[in-house]
Amino acid sequence: MSYWFAVLMGASLFTLMIPVVYRIWVGPTEFDRILGVNVIGTKTAVLLVITGTLFDRVDMFVDFAIAYSLLNFVGAIIVARYLNRTISLKEMEAREKKSRA
Amino acid sequence: MKLISMIPVAAVGGLLLFAAKDFPEWGAVDSPASQSPVSSHFISHTGVDTEVPNMVTAVLADYRGFDTMFETVVVFIAGVAVLAILRGSGRRGSQKREFEVDAEPDLIVTNTVRLIVPVIQIFAFYVLAHGHVSPGGGFQGGVAMGASFILVALAWDLEVALERFSISRCMVVASLGIVIYGGIGFLSMILGGEFLDYAELEKVLPVSREMARYHAMLGVEIGVGFTVSAIMFALYANLSSEGRLKGGL
Amino acid sequence: MIILQIIGILCGLVGLVFFLGAAVGMVRFPDFYTRMHAAGKGDTLSTMLMLAGFGLVTMEDFSLGSWLLLIKIMAVVLFIYLTSPTSSHALMRAAFEDDEMPLTEKDLKKSRRKAKETK
Repeated sequence: MSYWFAVLMGASLFTLMIPVVYRIWVGPTEFDRILGVNVIGTKTAVLLVITGTLFDRVDMFVDFAIAYSLLNFVGAIIVARYLNRTISLKEMEAREKKSRA
Repeated sequence: MKLISMIPVAAVGGLLLFAAKDFPEWGAVDSPASQSPVSSHFISHTGVDTEVPNMVTAVLADYRGFDTMFETVVVFIAGVAVLAILRGSGRRGSQKREFEVDAEPDLIVTNTVRLIVPVIQIFAFYVLAHGHVSPGGGFQGGVAMGASFILVALAWDLEVALERFSISRCMVVASLGIVIYGGIGFLSMILGGEFLDYAELEKVLPVSREMARYHAMLGVEIGVGFTVSAIMFALYANLSSEGRLKGGL
Repeated sequence: MIILQIIGILCGLVGLVFFLGAAVGMVRFPDFYTRMHAAGKGDTLSTMLMLAGFGLVTMEDFSLGSWLLLIKIMAVVLFIYLTSPTSSHALMRAAFEDDEMPLTEKDLKKSRRKAKETK
């Protein structure tokens, strides 16, 4: 039973990730893209546990899930900090255009 | 242009997916990798030789110990090279990075980091010490350990993290890791074996030959973990501040 | 332990419903802050519910190993409970200090007027 539950959950998670990927692809601002990447990263922890259930080695894959969610958190904090400690992206673009001209 | 470049990407991706169908099943006995004499030798001998349940760790730290040792040295050299280039390029001083502005540390982020950094460090030690049984080992544990220091540097400032783990201390810890690895190798050489022949350590450890290899592997992993964590943090500190060691990303 | 498995499956399905809300919100909402609202809340809760559900489903007997597994999965849940809202907050603050403006009533009126004119 747990096998079929895992297959069903994995398939539906994948289907529901498509709208998020659309937001990463189209996303009018950069923040939308980062947000989408963050959402998919959080869901990857669940996908890793699902993979563990399929291979019957959940004890192993849970470690991966912890490490993956840790790295996802570090990535989000890095992007947020970089944007926080620099001038806004629009201004950055304008200054770069000026220096090129 | 973007659309045109999508065509070869899609074509190659489709070809790869098509080829993936021909792969052997997961864990199949008749796959080429399982049929070579090397893997059957490792599968049948690892448990008897070293008493390590995780074959990957045994191959990595024992049978191929020489290779892993120089992998660690490569990590060390990468750190030293970045330090030598960035610290010596004359960019030190108080001037800011391009586009940089001042900002206060965020209250919520700092408090969360305060809560989870000890948890991450315990997890790093768990991964390091549990490498014999589950996936893990020195490299992975070292990365998690380095990430905890990087988190401190991200939540506050680089200076706060450098107070706890300065660059000179980083380099000491990194060299200490290699000394531990090489020292275990030389110790087994002194005791009458070959370089990195851990079984000879039974003469100083009160255990059997197999368990000597088991424990020596743990020592080697600890050395790798030291080097990787220290170099991870040194690389972040230097690359994010362009060698100035101020402010950080 | 059929009762635990049923509870776990229910948890997972409720998590899927919340993730459906997050995904729809990310596509349909008009500006970054409202999308962040959908993604931050729905994503955190659905991940926690799904992981807890899997922890209960894989709990087949009450031996030491399965207890250890449940504790590990709960550790992931706790970790996500702490980190996911924090990263949402950090991204939000970064966007706000980057002069990303929220959608106001004025913008809405303007877009409505434009839509009427094109009709």
